[in-house]
Amino acid sequence: MQDWGAATPLDDVSGAVALVGVGEADHSGASGRSAVEIGAQAVERALADAGLEPDQVDGILYRSGIGPQFDEHAFRAHFGTRRELFVSHDGGAMTWAATAPYVAAQAIRGGKASVLVNVFSVDWASRRGQMAGGPGVFHAQERMKASLELPFGWFPQPVYFATIARRHMHEYGTTEAQLGAIAVACRRHANGHPTAVLRDKPLSLDGYLARPMLVDPLRVEDCCLISDGGAAFVMTDPERAADLRKPPVRVLGVGEGRSETGTFWSQQRAFTTTPQVFSAPAAYAMAGMTAADVDVLATYDPFTIVALMQLEDMGFCAKGEGGAFAEGRRLHFDGGGLRRGLPLNTHGGLLSHAYVLGIAHVVELVRQLRGEAANQVAGARVGVYGGYTGATASTLVLARA
Amino acid sequence: MTAKPPLPDADWEPLRGFWAGAAAGELRIPRCTACGVFCWYPRERCPHCAATAFAWTPTSARGTLFSWAVVRRALYEPFAPLVPYATGLVALAEDPAVRIVTRLVDCEPSELRVDMPVHAVFRPLAFPGGAAPVPAPFFTPTR
Repeated sequence: MQDWGAATPLDDVSGAVALVGVGEADHSGASGRSAVEIGAQAVERALADAGLEPDQVDGILYRSGIGPQFDEHAFRAHFGTRRELFVSHDGGAMTWAATAPYVAAQAIRGGKASVLVNVFSVDWASRRGQMAGGPGVFHAQERMKASLELPFGWFPQPVYFATIARRHMHEYGTTEAQLGAIAVACRRHANGHPTAVLRDKPLSLDGYLARPMLVDPLRVEDCCLISDGGAAFVMTDPERAADLRKPPVRVLGVGEGRSETGTFWSQQRAFTTTPQVFSAPAAYAMAGMTAADVDVLATYDPFTIVALMQLEDMGFCAKGEGGAFAEGRRLHFDGGGLRRGLPLNTHGGLLSHAYVLGIAHVVELVRQLRGEAANQVAGARVGVYGGYTGATASTLVLARA
Repeated sequence: MTAKPPLPDADWEPLRGFWAGAAAGELRIPRCTACGVFCWYPRERCPHCAATAFAWTPTSARGTLFSWAVVRRALYEPFAPLVPYATGLVALAEDPAVRIVTRLVDCEPSELRVDMPVHAVFRPLAFPGGAAPVPAPFFTPTR
């Protein structure tokens, strides 16, 4: 019984909103650019992709509290418009890259906005030296963790997820090579993707296994990059979407689930499970689909083990079988010659593309469903994003119109 | 940025009983006075019966090693002198749902096994350049 969390009750927004423009900022290591500048570049490119002018935008979504973002003030200043904008802080990346379309659908239904842009950007590679434990700084500020976890060296995130990986290995027989298969698939995708930070760095499974441990049982290759970068996507109603430059991608389902222990991973009863077990079924139900209908998957992959757990928790295989499922080339964009592969993070993911916290995952799915991806999955019709923060997970079901 | 040594504030009210216990050589965990369930981490309401009164209760300070990680390269400056070190979670004997975050001491990482019996040893927690050491529960394999 899964009684350690729950799905968030959501209204049915299936078919109520479409993704019509996507844009990525330049992804890189430390670049000296600010997150706001990076966000501006992403929004410019997303609007150009949609064939829309900045003054046609009447809504903006981003996440507050995660550092400066390209917000409504930056939008007006950058594009020289005084237009009033519908504003939601429930946008951005991580889980919100999946729930932003839900917010947009509700805003469109309520007559509050008609064309909305969701944006997220980071300059953490440039600011790394100011952040204790890198992105771990957000956890170090939590007083219970600062008191009970940091003093014992259980910090930052690679330590949390190495501990989860070891327990998963114990419970289910998951191996290092199986984690490595995920790292290798993502790297191969990055090698074929023009915007990936690691596009020029190949990785074989033997090469992975030969690498030293960072936080045993995880290697550097099991951990995400730290990047400067960002992305944006534009959303509108299906009728307007049909008249725009690119084929629209429809939102068929949205789900969100949460763990009752929040980001206190140490105390989560289902230690080797993610809140996708609550989120994914809700999103599939809204979409009228199952995991078997999914052609291409993009999951939040801060660590290989998180992608592996989501394969299980989103119903692509039974709990505990994620390791065996990931072996070989099943997760590669060309399915490794399997008749029924499950291409995963075909842009390279957080592991090998850029650590922009999932918003580039959604951009990649839109390109896949339009048929314009760098590592195109043949005949992709349905794409799913799995977002994750630890405390929460989210699921976005997208389909070619 | 030079990270501040991560010493706990032993006077912070929600965890005062924990650190007072450690100073007395005991592993104390809050227990709901209404239903008797151990509640960890401390919270305002008992998740089992919703009561709001807890008593810091001494435990056996024994348990099993739920899982752990071996930090081979320091990701956080204050721990650089300790690398490599093993840190992880101990499931408390009285109630395995209570997991204590700890550092494993007096053992080699290669000796560790999931679910092996472990017990607490109380040592001063200190960092170079830090404030006065705080007595804290570390764990070691029970041989």
